[in-house]
Parts: sequence; C-alpha cells; structure tokens
Amino acid sequence: MQKMAGEEIRNTVIIATAIFLVAPAFIVVYISVYNNRKKRHIEEKKLMQLTFASELTKTQLEVQEQTMQTIGADLHDNIGQLLSLTSQTLKSIELDNQAKARQKIDTSIDLTVRSIKEMRLLGHLLQGDQLVAVGLAEAIRQLISWMERSGKYKLVYTVGDEIPAKGNADKDLIIFRITQEIFNNIIKHADASEITIGLDYEQGMLSLRIADNGVGFAADEAPPGKHGMGLQNIRKRAGIIGGEANINSDQGKGTQIIISVPYP
Amino acid sequence: MLNYFTFTTTIEILCFFVALLCLKKDNVPMWKYFSFFLLLTCIAELSGIYLKRNHHPYNAWVYNILMVFEFGFVNLMFREIGRRYAQTKTVIICGIILVAVFYALDMISHGIFVYNNLTYTVMSVILVIYSLVYYYSIMTGDNYVRIAYSAQFWFVTGCLFYYFGETACDLFYDKLQTVFITPLHTLTYYIYAILNVLLYGCWSYSFICRRWLEKRSETL
Repeated sequence: MQKMAGEEIRNTVIIATAIFLVAPAFIVVYISVYNNRKKRHIEEKKLMQLTFASELTKTQLEVQEQTMQTIGADLHDNIGQLLSLTSQTLKSIELDNQAKARQKIDTSIDLTVRSIKEMRLLGHLLQGDQLVAVGLAEAIRQLISWMERSGKYKLVYTVGDEIPAKGNADKDLIIFRITQEIFNNIIKHADASEITIGLDYEQGMLSLRIADNGVGFAADEAPPGKHGMGLQNIRKRAGIIGGEANINSDQGKGTQIIISVPYP
Repeated sequence: MLNYFTFTTTIEILCFFVALLCLKKDNVPMWKYFSFFLLLTCIAELSGIYLKRNHHPYNAWVYNILMVFEFGFVNLMFREIGRRYAQTKTVIICGIILVAVFYALDMISHGIFVYNNLTYTVMSVILVIYSLVYYYSIMTGDNYVRIAYSAQFWFVTGCLFYYFGETACDLFYDKLQTVFITPLHTLTYYIYAILNVLLYGCWSYSFICRRWLEKRSETL
C-alpha cells in the first residue's frame, strides 16, 4: 500500500516536472505568434500611412490642376474677352470727335475695371489653393464667390460658429478637394439653379452639406462614367480621413451630399 | 583525458568556441566578455570532474564559487538587454541583494563544501522572472522584434528554458533522483542534459545572431 502511494507521488512529480519543462516552450511560441501579429499590424499601419501620404499629394496636385483649369478657362472666356473689347474700343477712338471719344474712353475704363474685378476674383481662387493660410471655411467661400460670379446659380453658404480655429491641414485639403469635385458635378451634370452649402461642427465631427435642386439621379444606381467615378472618389476620400459621405438623390429631386469627418 | 568530455562539458566547450568565434570583435563589452564567462564555466566543470574522479571528498565548493560569477554575469546581461526597455538598475540590485542574503545563509548553515541548493533555486526563480519581464516588454513595446535574428531574444529564451526547468528539478530533486532511466543514470541526469542542450543551443544561436544575422536583418 505504502509502495503504491510512493509510486503515485513519483508519477505526479514526473508529470509536474514535464509541465515545468514544456511551459517555457508554450510561452516562447505565444510570444512569437503575438510578435508576428504585431509585426503585421505595424506594417499595415505603415502601408496605410504611405497610402494616405500619396493620396494627399495626389489631392494637392488635383486641387492645383482644377484651380489652374478654372483660371485658364476664365482668362480665355472672360478676362481675355474683356481686354480684347477694351483694346478694340480704344483702337476705334477718333480724337477729332471729342464727345464720342469721351464715351469710348469711359467704356474702356468700365471694361478695365471689370477686368480688374475678375482678376481679383481669380486671385482669391488662387488663395483658396493655399488652404493652410486661409482655412477651410474661407477657401470654400472663395470657391463659392467664383461660382456666384457666373450668375447662373443662387448660392447660400452658412458656416457654424463652433468650427475650431485651428484645423487640420491634411483633412482641410481633402475636404476642399471633395467640395471642388461636388461643384464640378453640379456644373457638368446637375442643371441646378440653387445650391445650399453648410459647414458645421458638433461633438468632434465636421460636417459639410451641399444640396442642389438639379436633375438628380437614382442614388442606388450610381451614374455610369466619370460622374460615377466622381462619387466613388468622394466616398473614398472621405474614408481616407476617417469620415464618410452620404449621398442622397432622386431623379428630378436634386442631390444632397453630406460629408462627416472627425475633426480636427 | 577523454573522461573529462561528458555530454555537458562537450556542449559547454562547443558553446565557448562559438562565443569566441562570434563575439571577439563585438562592440558591446557584455557580449564581448561572454566567452570569458563560458571559459570560466568550462574550467569549473572540468575542475569539478577532476576532483570527483580523483576521490576528493568535496567538489561542491567549485560550483558554489561559479554560482557567484554565473549570477553576476547573467544579471549584467539582463541589465544590458533591459536597458532599451526600462530603468532596470534598481530591480537588478534588489535581485543581487536577495541572492546575496540567501548565499550568506547557505554559507552560515553548511559552509562552502556543501552545494548551495537554496541559493541556486532563488537565483533561478529571479532569472525566470527577469526573462518573463523581458517578454512582457517585447509584447507591450511600440516596435516588433525580429525574433529569428534577435540575439537578445535567444539569450533570454535559453535562460528561461534552463532556469525554469532547473527550478522544477531542484524542487522535486529527491523524488526525481529515485527514477532510473538506465542502470547508470537517473531521470535528473537526462533532464539536466536536455536543459544544457537548450541553454547552450539558444546561447550559441544568439552569438550567431549577434555576429551575422542582426546586421543582415537591419539591411533587409
């Protein structure tokens, strides 16, 4: 009986020793698996940061390209025409007929003043490109001023009081680019006459709401081609900065896009 | 002469040569002097065998002296390794004081000619705790460790395997000593053999990492 008990104790001791010997192996395997997961997580994070940086550079270039295109078109269609007209008017002045000359000089002065005004607006548009200096709300205001000038649209722009004074330059850039993209879509496809823009801030979330009274589209069937790509880009870009884009539209009932982004 | 090349001494001598080959040009003093510590271990082991084979009544005093160097060196290695993770000085000093107290108690109770079993168990527990703290630091640190190429990781892993197993063996020594696997050797002989293979295997690999793989992994 005593021999049996001794045997059992010995077996227990052997098993306990075996557990002691195997335990470190489990610890090492666990550390190794955990470390590998951490490695994957860190690498994914790095990749995301790289993607974000490259997306930011791309956005910066797109904003500049869009601004340059607008300026180019404006110089050609508007300021160029005004200056040509000024030149023609000045050329046609007959110094012998002072009364008519006076009238033509006045017309030329008026045309020149209008050109200067247009140039000033273009200058503001270029400033909008320098988002860091003017801030998001002001950059959007300049974009709206330029759109208003065409006289085609009635624009209402409201900015909430709570918007943080110190923004986030990267997010500002992407939100600004989204705004440009939405305005482009409105100009090209919406056939709208009224546009409402609201920029608000509540509980750490910045929301940009742009609504138009244009032709709209069936939101569940994203329009094909470039327009569809534009909407995808809006969603993707909002996602990059941790936000989301809600696009509501219906045939003949206009479109409303709300971008919500954690801010700053 | 061949009698001196037991399983354990052979592994220790091999590890010493690997250290000599890999660490002689190392920039960090603790790694550079690793081969001296291993040389000391080999000398102590061979002296222990010499005393036993020549019928000297005691050889435990050799291991009692080696214990001081072993704990001192491994402690300093942990200090070197832990430097990048936290302030380890206080913890290391506390560990040294604790082991010193037990060493003194052992010496007072039975003198230098009996092996300081209690001190070695306390020392093993402390080194296991250091190893676990190192792993915890790896898990909670901001960066990941290239485990396959990390000399530090393999040094600590060797320590964990050896001192964890050593603690178990010390605790259950009386019972394990009665289990004979072969007519000549008990279970403890084989357990110690396996522990030595793990310890010196991991350490040798850590020297190889130190000499070649760490630098290569930095360029990957």
